[in-house]
Formats: sequence, C-alpha cells, structure tokens
Amino acid sequence: MPAIKETVEHVEELEVEKYKYGFKSDIESEVAPKGLNEDIVRYISAKKDEPKWMLDWRLEAFRRWQTMTEPTWARVHYPKIDFQDLHYYAAPKSMSAPKSLDEVDPELLETYKKLGIPLKEQEILAGVEGARVAVDAVFDSVSVVTTFKEELAKAGVIFCPISEAIRDHPELVKKYLASVVPVSDNFYATMNSAVFTDGSFVYVPEGVRCPMELSTYFRINEPNTGQFERTLIIAEKGSYVSYLEGCTAPMRDENQLHAAVVELIAHDDAEIKYSTVQNWYPGDKNGKGGIYNFVTKRGDCRGKNSKISWTQVETGSAITWKYPSCILRGDGSRGEFYSIAVSNGYQQVDSGTKMIHLGKDTSSLIIAKGIAAGKSDNTYRGLVSAHAKASGARNFTQCDSLLIGDACGAHTVPYIESRNATAVFEHEATTSKISDDQLFYCQQRGLSDEEAVALIVNGFVREVLQNLPMEFMVESQKLIAISLEGSVG
Amino acid sequence: MTAPNTAKRTVHLGEAENTLISQLLSAGARGAADELAASGLPTRRIEAYHYTDLKALLGEVPAIAEEAGQVGPPKFRVPGAYRILVANGRIQQSTTPPNGVVVSEAGGSSLTERDDVLVMLNHGLVEKSLAIGLENSVDPIVHIDHRIAGAPAHTAGALRIEVAPGATATVLETFSGSDAAHMGNQGTRVELGDGARFTHIVVDLSALNSRHFHTIEYAVGANVQLRNLLVNSGSALSRTQMFGVFAGEGAHGDFSGLNLVDDGQHNDITLDVNHAVPNTTSQELFKSVVRNRAKAIFQGRIVVSPKAQKTDAKMMMQGLMLSEGAQILSKPELEIFADDVQCGHGSTCGELDAQSMFYMMSRGIAREDAKAMLIRAFVQELLDPIEDEELSEALSGVVEEWLSRPAKSPAI
Amino acid sequence: MSTPMLEIRNLHVRVEDKTILKGVDLVVPKGEVHAIMGRNGSGKSTLSYAIAGRDGYEITDGDILLDGQSIVEMEADERASAGLFLAFQYPIEIPGVATMTFLKAAMNAQRKSRGEEEMKTPEFMKAVRAAAGDLSIETDMLKRALNVGFSGGEKKRAEVLQMALLAPKMCILDETDSGLDIDALKVVSQGVNHLRAPKRSMLVITHYQRLLNHIVPDRVHVFSDGRIVKSGGKELALELEAEGYSAFDEAAA
Repeated sequence: MPAIKETVEHVEELEVEKYKYGFKSDIESEVAPKGLNEDIVRYISAKKDEPKWMLDWRLEAFRRWQTMTEPTWARVHYPKIDFQDLHYYAAPKSMSAPKSLDEVDPELLETYKKLGIPLKEQEILAGVEGARVAVDAVFDSVSVVTTFKEELAKAGVIFCPISEAIRDHPELVKKYLASVVPVSDNFYATMNSAVFTDGSFVYVPEGVRCPMELSTYFRINEPNTGQFERTLIIAEKGSYVSYLEGCTAPMRDENQLHAAVVELIAHDDAEIKYSTVQNWYPGDKNGKGGIYNFVTKRGDCRGKNSKISWTQVETGSAITWKYPSCILRGDGSRGEFYSIAVSNGYQQVDSGTKMIHLGKDTSSLIIAKGIAAGKSDNTYRGLVSAHAKASGARNFTQCDSLLIGDACGAHTVPYIESRNATAVFEHEATTSKISDDQLFYCQQRGLSDEEAVALIVNGFVREVLQNLPMEFMVESQKLIAISLEGSVG
Repeated sequence: MTAPNTAKRTVHLGEAENTLISQLLSAGARGAADELAASGLPTRRIEAYHYTDLKALLGEVPAIAEEAGQVGPPKFRVPGAYRILVANGRIQQSTTPPNGVVVSEAGGSSLTERDDVLVMLNHGLVEKSLAIGLENSVDPIVHIDHRIAGAPAHTAGALRIEVAPGATATVLETFSGSDAAHMGNQGTRVELGDGARFTHIVVDLSALNSRHFHTIEYAVGANVQLRNLLVNSGSALSRTQMFGVFAGEGAHGDFSGLNLVDDGQHNDITLDVNHAVPNTTSQELFKSVVRNRAKAIFQGRIVVSPKAQKTDAKMMMQGLMLSEGAQILSKPELEIFADDVQCGHGSTCGELDAQSMFYMMSRGIAREDAKAMLIRAFVQELLDPIEDEELSEALSGVVEEWLSRPAKSPAI
Repeated sequence: MSTPMLEIRNLHVRVEDKTILKGVDLVVPKGEVHAIMGRNGSGKSTLSYAIAGRDGYEITDGDILLDGQSIVEMEADERASAGLFLAFQYPIEIPGVATMTFLKAAMNAQRKSRGEEEMKTPEFMKAVRAAAGDLSIETDMLKRALNVGFSGGEKKRAEVLQMALLAPKMCILDETDSGLDIDALKVVSQGVNHLRAPKRSMLVITHYQRLLNHIVPDRVHVFSDGRIVKSGGKELALELEAEGYSAFDEAAA
C-alpha cells in the first residue's frame, strides 16, 4: 500500500497556499452597514437606482424571509450563521456607476488578469486563438464590466448586468424573474430575492444562435460580505446559448456567504448550456474560513423539445449546497446534469440535481462524479420524478464516488419517484477507491504515483469534463489536480 | 438578533394522536405519551417518513385489542412447520416445541429504543414479548402466526429470536386477521450468535383495510449467514422497517423483499444496514409490482462505518408498474466512511418489457397470460434462493393469489 | 391456382413518424420458400415485424393475408395461433422463465385458441425431446431461462426448435444466419429444410447469399428503400452477390 499511503499523506498536507486565487485586492470599497433589515433592502435598491416595483418586490421577499427557517435536511454541518453580522452590499468606490472599460479601476483589471480573465477585448482578441468569450465581471456586489456587448447586440442578444436589465428591459425582467424559482422557494432563495446585488442577464431572441460563449466571473473580495448573485437567462424559440460561470474569493479566516439564484428559461426547440467552475475559497487545512455556498439553480424547459444542460465542476467552498435542476415541462424536452464534485480538507459538499418530468416523452441524463479526500464529506443528492402525465419519460443516472484516504465520507441519496407506468428510470451508483493494482500497473509502466493518481482521477471524471467548453476543460483538469494537490502533482 | 423565527412550533394533534396518547397513558407509558404529544406523528418532513406521512395516512386508531376468541385456520400454511399462534398479541396455541426450540415470555418490548414513533409506541404498549431460543440445528420451520381477530383492534406485539452460535434455523412470521380496519404494530429482534445460519421469512397478508407496522432488528455476529425475505400483499397501509447491524467479521446478509401492491394500498419497506466492522458483505434485492392506484415505497440505506474496510455491499431495487395510477417511490442510499470497500446500488423502474411481450405473443401466448408469465419471472429471482420446497410453494401461492385478484375500479 | 399462403398487398408501414415500407407487394404460394434480400436499413426487419404484428408498426395502407384471411387487425398472439411464426434475428432473453415452461405455454395457448385440447406433459416432453434431438439441443439447455446465457448458435437453434414444435403454416426467418459459424449454420439450415412441406411456406430474410446455399429458395426478391424492386429465381441471389446492391438502387429510385 505505500503509494496509497503516500497519496493520503500528501493530501493531508494540503496547504492553504495551494489555493492560488487567495490573494486580496486593495481596492477602496463602499460597504453597507452590517445587518439585514428593510433599510438595507432599501439601501441596495437605491444604490442600484431601481424602479419602485423592484423595491416593492424585494421588500415583499424580505417579509417572507422573516417567517422562514434555514433548511436542515442537507448533510452539512456548520455553526449557526448570524445573518445580522454580514455586509449585504460592497462595491469598489471607483465603480459606483459602471461605464466603459477605460474608466475601470486598473487595480480591478489587474485582479481579473491575475485570475486569468482578461477583460480588455483587444487582449482577448490578441490572446488566445479560437473561440472568443464575452465576460460579465462581478466584483462583490456590482458588475464592473461586460465585454463584447455591442457585438452581441448586433445579433440581438442582450448580455448585461441584471441591475442594468431591471432599468433597461423591465418588461422582460418582470415577465421572467422568479418564474422558475419562486420568491419563497427556499430560505436562501427568498433571502436572495430581498438582497440580490448583481449577476447577469441574458436574452437570446428567436432563432438566434449566440455568436460566442457568454460568461460571468464572480469574485468576492471584501471581508464579512455576502455575495448574492442573481442570473436570468432566457432562450427564445429555436435559439442557443452557452454560458459559463467562474467564481473565486480571497483566503479569509472568517466564513463568507454566497447565496445565488440562477433561473434559465428555454422556449420551444431552444437550448441552454450552463457550465460552472466553482472555485470559491475552501477554507484552510483546519477547516477555518471558506465560503458557504448556498445556491438555487433551476432551469425550466418550458417549450417543446427544449434542452437545458448543466455542467459543474465544484472544487471550492467550505460548504456547498447546490442542486441545479430541470423542470421538463415541454413535451420532448431534455435535461442533462454533469457534475464533478471534489472535496478535500474539511470541505462539505451536498450537491446534485432534480429532474422533474412533467411533459410527455421527456428525457434526462445525470452523470455525477464525487471525489472525496482528506476529512471531507461528499454527498450526491438527487431527485428524479415523473408526474402522472409524463408518459414516456426516461432517465438514466450514474453516480460514482471515489474515496482517497479513510477519513473522508462519500454518500449517495437519490430520490426516485415514478408516478407514470410508461416512465422508465434507471439508476446506478458505485463507490470505490483507487486500487493498488491500478497504481501498480501505472507505476510499472513508468508513471510516478502522483502521475498515476492524476491519470486515474482524470479517467474517472472524463465523461463530465468532455461536456465543458475546451478552455474550461483544460482549466478544470488543472483545478482538480490542485484541489487534490499532493496526489496529483 | 439571529435568524428570524426560531420559536418552537406547536404541533397540532389529530384524533389518531390523541387516541394513541390516551392508550399510552392507560398503559402507564407517560414518557412516550409526552413525547408523542410534543412531536406528533411523523410527517413527510421527517426524512425517514418522507414517503409515508403517518400523520396524514394513519386514519382512525382502534381500541386496544381484547383477548381474541377462537380464530380460523391459517391463511398461509407450511406443512410440517412448528406453528405458534399469536392472536391479538397473546399466545393462543402452541404444541410442545421441537428439539432445539425454547419458547418463553419476557417483559416489555424486545426492540432497542430508538428515535422512531413505531418503536416508541411498541415500547409503550407491549406488556410481554414472546421469546424464541433456537439452540442448535432446528429442523422444522418455526412459524409464528400473528393474527388480529374480531372487531377493529390495535395490537402491539414483540418477539425476540435468539439464535445460538453455530445454530441453523428458519423462522417464518405471517400476519393476517379478520376483515376489519385493524392496526398492528409488531417488533421483532433477532440476535444471531457467531456462525449461525438463519433464514427469516415475513409475510403480510393482513386484511386490505388494515394498517400493519413491523420493526425488525438484526444483530449479526461473526461469520453469520443471514437471509431474509419479506413478502407484502396485504394491508391498506403498511410499513416494514428493518435495521441490521453487522457487529462481527466474516458475516454475510441477504436482505430481500417483494411488495405486491394493488388498488388503494400503500406499502413501505425501509431498510437500514450498517456494516460496523471490517470484512462483512451484504446483498439487498427488493422488488415492487404495482397495479391500479397504489404506491410501493422502498427506502434502503447501506452505511459503512469508518474502519469497516473490505465491506462489499450491493443493493438493487426493481419496480414494475402495471397500470396508470401506480406509483413507485424509492430512495436507495449509500453512506460510506471507509475507502477500501465495494459498494453500489442500482434502481430501475418501468413497465413490462415490450420486446418480451411481443416475443411471447408472437408464439401465440395471449396478452394477459404473457403478462402474468413475465410478472412471475420478475419475482422468481426472490423465491429461487428459498430451499424449502413447501415454503417456496406457499410463497408462490401468495404471488398467484395476488395475480388472480379481481381487478378493482380505480379509487377516486 | 389455390389461395397463396401469404399475400401482401401494397403494404405501407410507419414506425413513429417515419414511413419505412412504401408499398410492398408479395405473394408466397403454398409449399414455396421465398427469399428477401436487401442491405441493412432497407426495411426487411420492419416487414417481418409488421407481418407478425408488433406494437408501434402502424399499417397506413395495404393488407396482409394469411391463407386468404386478412390478419392486420389481429393481435400478435392471434396471428401466431393462425399459423404464423417469426424466427427472430435477435431472440429475446427472458430471465426467470424456463425454456420448457415457455414452450409448453406457447403450444397450449395455440392449441386452446384453435379449440384443440391441451397437450399432456408426457406427450409434450416426448415431442420436445424428439425435436431437440434433431437440432442437437441438449435437454439441459431447455431447463435454463429462455435464451438467457445462450450462445448465438444456441439461440437460433432454439428458434428452429420452437418452429418445429409449433408447426406453423407460414414461417418468417429474419436474418437467421447472423451470428452463426458454418457448422451452426448447417445444423440450423438442416432443421429448417426438414420442415419444408407442401402445406408450409417460408419467407427467408437475409443480407447475404450464403444462407441460400443451404436453404435453397424457389423465388428471390430484392428489397430496397421499403419496396421489392426485383424478383427472380434463385440465380438472382448469385447475381446480387456478384454485382452488389447498388446495381438495384436505380430500380428503387
């Protein structure tokens, strides 16, 4: 067993320094007073220069939130969060009114450059060959810049911060906001509805294939600050859009809160592909600090033959509570969920998906790969359900867990509910470790144990990685390697 | 100020809860009564009862059973078995036990106390439990024939089965009764000494308007070979919950069950298997066949404790839906805390395979006959391991009876 | 001329949203063996399923007559009892159903529907043993679940065994040669040839000519794009083998 033992030891030695996005940016910020109350909700709404209907909507959400309690069913444990001890708004002072790229604080641009996200369009053009990506960069509570807006506008695609959409496209926001995740859906979603600050808005008109990948890059910088992103993507009939989301945060000793709501709407024959690489700060080797990530993501396949595909690579956060889901409402619609969740140190992941089959001949596919190392707990939790009218529904689910070391836990909690006799559901789950035989075989062929583990882990997650856009795939492979540092060179 | 609203919610108690509380008080179980008054019956918000919301489903609780009069012949009979008739919770008839079998009575419930309403009620209401000692290789099948007789009655009963180290035995428990809205709440604790070989068959044939609850515990010693099989075709509402703990190395358990569910029935099988020590293996195979407006539930959890290396556990759940209105709800869980293990689960559900149907019909077999053959084939895998031919035949009889049940019009 | 055993008139069949058969006309007289040859995807298997009455194969136009009777309104089991037999290209595995149990159920179901008495077990066993012997089928195989764990050759022999026992009037053999080595092919072909009779007809569906060396047909029909595009004597099969199917594509177009 020497190789395995070494691997385990390496993993245990995981140092916080390995989190390469842990730097802080020295940017002067305007921060709201701590606490959550009606005044804070009004403060945020005023900062965003929102119309009255939006403020009323927020206040209603806040009132509902006051009557709710935190969910406790997930397999995650953490000290009680004092919601009054947080800042709900923080923005770089220079960015009180985001304008053009030239006016953006150079320190901010530098921050994104260090994160590997160039925001200057000419740099993007000059840099990597091939696909261009339009970026909306959200720094704490505000969007600092959105690139390629004009070019997208030519194709009829609206891509802007949601705060801007509320002002410029109120009819679309009113029609779709909270139409997938109702205001009172759950504790965190309701809280988000009251205090959300920024996030992206995407509207792809009928028949348009979005000419480039869209992406949002989230960064939490201020200490003791919650980030409450709100993203809304609408794909009209026959359209297509691929959207990427990335997230990082500095290393801080205290826990930070991230409670997002993402809503996707796909009309007839439309397709939305949503990819996430989540790399929030996971906390240090003793489990101190890290992001609490409570996220509600849901897609509504509202139209016939529509399709929504979620791909996620989850390597960060101290706590992850996240279930990107699909409501398969339109006949013939399809939902897909591809997930890699890596946990190490004291991380706790409770993540999975819900596939709700409502329409006829709907289909869904779930491929979830969990890798647990260190003293972490990694849970897949998923629901597949067929409504009584969902005749011909099909689901295939594959959940695999890989354990590295004997101090971690891997759990699978699927809920499978069939209420239609013609629905066919198949579910498979396995749990395994990297076998000594596999390691020995690779070593005999000349690989070091670290290379061997990297090779085997990469093979384990390949099916999911293949669904990411090329740039993200390479990035994710590296990220997984870093997350399992020691075992994977 | 922290999160809003953490004030304890007051539980509204319904008629069923109030009756149960007064029954507990009359039995002198004040603690249990207080607990029930504080928490109420579990709703779907209680994870273990997610699919069986007792508060909504239980209905009227009948009076505690009186001593039963003469009861009729058994519904399920295995020739040559040693039968103990337990009517309304009291031993009514038993002959001299065969060699190796010791029958006695003990005070109170046989179950371990745990945070579960059925177990709590069992503890509160059972005065005396039946104890069966199996001391060496017992030849005949030991059949505990549980009945609820007469007018609608609530019975709570408990059984303790102790299998001596190295002993071999088969115990059959059957549940049936008069055609009335009974409520039965049985507890069975099985303690398996090292090296024991034990088969436990449990058949529920309760009246189709009664409620049947059964909690089974298996304490599994080293090198034990355990096989269990549940067959449910009775009751309007039933829940059989099994808790198995592997406490000695080298043991193997086969856990299996069949839910045959028809119009208006709601049958729940809940299984929790804990591999607490290294080098134990288990296989779980559960099948449901659902016809008309009915629900079959299977919740299965395999827990591998830290240090329980070399555990090998495979769970399979298969559901067959025969008509509109049928529901199959399942939750196969893995909870793994050791890395050098082989664990997995699978779950499938759907209707009868169209290709197989066509193949059979293309050979001249009529649709209904082809269906019946495929259903028999589907459940056969569960009956195959039962070596005793007469027992196997009797179990097939339960399947045949279910298949031949007249079609009911769907409930509205 | 007596009534043909099988007569297909202008048959159009749709599967899901796609029309696969686009006007098939075919007459197989009593006692004759006809072959249908065509490349993969030409609709050959659809034809066999449509004749046998598989769910989802919707006949949008035309008719199928078995011994003068239209069978298109019948269920698959009624067609079987009327004397139609389909030897499957991929026989279905049915776990839990012993081959013997299945054979008996099928034989008695057909007898019952024809108003005949059920076969007694000893009589049945005798018939099975005799037929199995001819096909070199071990009785052990018959105790196993239907087609489960059977090799390719065993599955095809089991199909021919069923054909022998059920004694149909009209046999359709769908790609019976697929997955067979030369020895197995000989055994299966002998079994089939053994069943050739003046009151029994056969339709042999195949991709390759080689099967027709063993089961020599009276007529050969070339199938392309859901229709029969050419018919001829047994020499047509050789012609096809030499020139390939593309020579007939024009005829289809």
